[in-house]
Amino acid sequence: MSTRALAAWSGAGLVIVLSTSNPVYRAVVLLCAINLLLARGRRGAGPRLLLVGIGIAALTATALTLLLSHSGQHVLARLPAAIPAIGGPLTLEALLFGVATGLGIAAAMLVVAPLTLISQPHELVDALPPVLARTGAAIGAALNLIPGTARSAAEIRDAQRMRGWRARRVADWPAVAVPVVLTAIEGSLTLAEAMESRGYGAAVRTHFGVERWTPFDTLVAVSALLAAALFLALTIAGQVPGWFPFPVATAPVVSVPAVLCCALLVVPSLRVRR
Amino acid sequence: MGTVAFAGLDYAYPGTAARVLDQLDLDIGSGLVIVSGSSGSGKSTLLRVCNGLIPHFHGGRIGGSARVLGRDVLRTPTRELARDVGFVFQDPELQAVYPSVERDAAFGLENIGVAHAEMVRRVDDALQMCGIAHLRRRAVATLSGGERQRLALAGVLAMRPRLLVLDEPFSQLDPEGSGALLAALRAAVRAGTSALVAEHRHQLVVESADRWLAMSGGRVADSPPPPALPVALPHGRSQPAELSWRLHGVSAGHGRTPVLHDLELVGGEGEVVALVGANGSGKTTLLRTIAGLLAPLAGRVERRPGRIAYLPQNPSALLHRATVRSEIDWTLRRTRSAGDAGTVLEELGLGTVAGRDPRDLSSGQRQRAALACVLAGSPSLVLLDEPTRGMDEAARAALTAAVARVAERGGSVVVATHDQDLVAAVATRVVELREGAAREPVPLLAVSRSC
Repeated sequence: MSTRALAAWSGAGLVIVLSTSNPVYRAVVLLCAINLLLARGRRGAGPRLLLVGIGIAALTATALTLLLSHSGQHVLARLPAAIPAIGGPLTLEALLFGVATGLGIAAAMLVVAPLTLISQPHELVDALPPVLARTGAAIGAALNLIPGTARSAAEIRDAQRMRGWRARRVADWPAVAVPVVLTAIEGSLTLAEAMESRGYGAAVRTHFGVERWTPFDTLVAVSALLAAALFLALTIAGQVPGWFPFPVATAPVVSVPAVLCCALLVVPSLRVRR
Repeated sequence: MGTVAFAGLDYAYPGTAARVLDQLDLDIGSGLVIVSGSSGSGKSTLLRVCNGLIPHFHGGRIGGSARVLGRDVLRTPTRELARDVGFVFQDPELQAVYPSVERDAAFGLENIGVAHAEMVRRVDDALQMCGIAHLRRRAVATLSGGERQRLALAGVLAMRPRLLVLDEPFSQLDPEGSGALLAALRAAVRAGTSALVAEHRHQLVVESADRWLAMSGGRVADSPPPPALPVALPHGRSQPAELSWRLHGVSAGHGRTPVLHDLELVGGEGEVVALVGANGSGKTTLLRTIAGLLAPLAGRVERRPGRIAYLPQNPSALLHRATVRSEIDWTLRRTRSAGDAGTVLEELGLGTVAGRDPRDLSSGQRQRAALACVLAGSPSLVLLDEPTRGMDEAARAALTAAVARVAERGGSVVVATHDQDLVAAVATRVVELREGAAREPVPLLAVSRSC
């Protein structure tokens, strides 16, 4: 699938997630994103670590809302009022609002995840408009330095250990941090020299990788843009009720046309990777 | 007019008064030209003028005239000169821009706006010429040092330069990688490209060069090629008095995958063991295992009590203090060792730079400073990982003498190296690592094929 079509899909998903407080629509977008990752995720780019990170972020948002928001009529438990900030009633309404917030965070992160878990980094660079092409190449080169810097940090730490270095106090860390930073800077300068020596910035860049735009990419892009546009139009027309559980928790009101808009995001999953 | 024509060229780096190039006159035509000279003699500076990195990237004060392929370097930006001048750097790990081989080979062509079909043709040709066409789909991170350096060469050859400039391209390669890179370079020269190469390891290029230049004090002059080094035999004690370290059935590697299998090796006091083998054969893994930095996956490592000194592949990465002397004092203090920084400084010829910031030194001096840091305090076991990378003759001589001193006072030395001259100069035993196993004794005449 074309990275540009994928970017259109991610943008549409993000628009929907960020324009509603209703957890039902957020959940539909979330399911579409998970479905897409399962259907077309790049081999070797396992989303496990990302999913763990998203799960931690969502749970943290839920827990913080539950602990810090003491509003709501259905009290589940009470913490001693003497405890700063979190002392007081823990309510069902706060818990539900926390879950909805966590769901929004998870959905927002997952709709952009396909850009890295389905596309290759250089495909993203290729997909940038010409005005951003040089910046994209520089960012791609910088990202390429990260694994080497991490390796170098481990080697420097080990070498300094053999000179008697131990991490006992903050004052001990410059013995490792200074060479790591200086080595990283020297590495960056060498890479910059190498890029300059290979004509970086000499002309309008062309691309070795040719991105094929297929009818399916058109379908993905059009359906995504349609989904976002219709959802926004329904929201402006007052046809997409939001959701706020305070002071008393209620079930979110669901608009079928709005759910169908969100469901349009399932289109890229309809063709499974061969 | 020649390919490179410099007249009265002066150059000083920003913030310094000393001229690195001093009224330099040079006229180079076609063929393969080798530039030799000690660290700090101005070789890298000279090379960087050829593609305009000096003065356009580095700044500094420059005077005189510099023309390359008829273009005025002082008025032409590097990115424009890149269409005609290809530059390959010393470190193969710091030149790749993209993570995959063929994409990286195409980076320069993308920059100068070559059309896609032409780009594909040129990348194909360049990968073929460098003998890495079969690696085109591979990730750069999975390549050996030699393959990476050939990729760097392919990346510039794809741009069809008329002049190739290579700054110590062989310094980190094993003989196989060096041979393949040299073959690619020869092919490019045969195809009509001029090449200017700075190299300390003269024996690699002695038969291929059309012209030799020697740099000294910022000036350059024609010089005869250096004489071939005599082949020496391993020397020293055949039966060490006491064992210093021993590996019992050791398997070792990163993660759970062993790189070394069931090794039985010993090292004695007063011995200098040279570890040889191709890039990726496990030399560094073995050194780290002996040092105790890497726990063996199976088996046991024994070491006699005493301080262990370890010099990593990038020795200057150790340096973090304000002066060379304070670096040595830091080691002595941290390892609670008796000793005097002044003695180590004198032994390694660093007395005159003791008060200078180690990062301001020439690369050869920096390497000697790093060596001084790890050797301070009379360690009983010294582990050196590719210590001659980019070393000039003075630094190499200091290293050889330092290793001999450690062995003479009963210390044990293990040195992992591709450098057959170093092996000939210091080794009492040679161990070859191949496919995870150790083979010894290795006759020194065979070292040139394996180290």
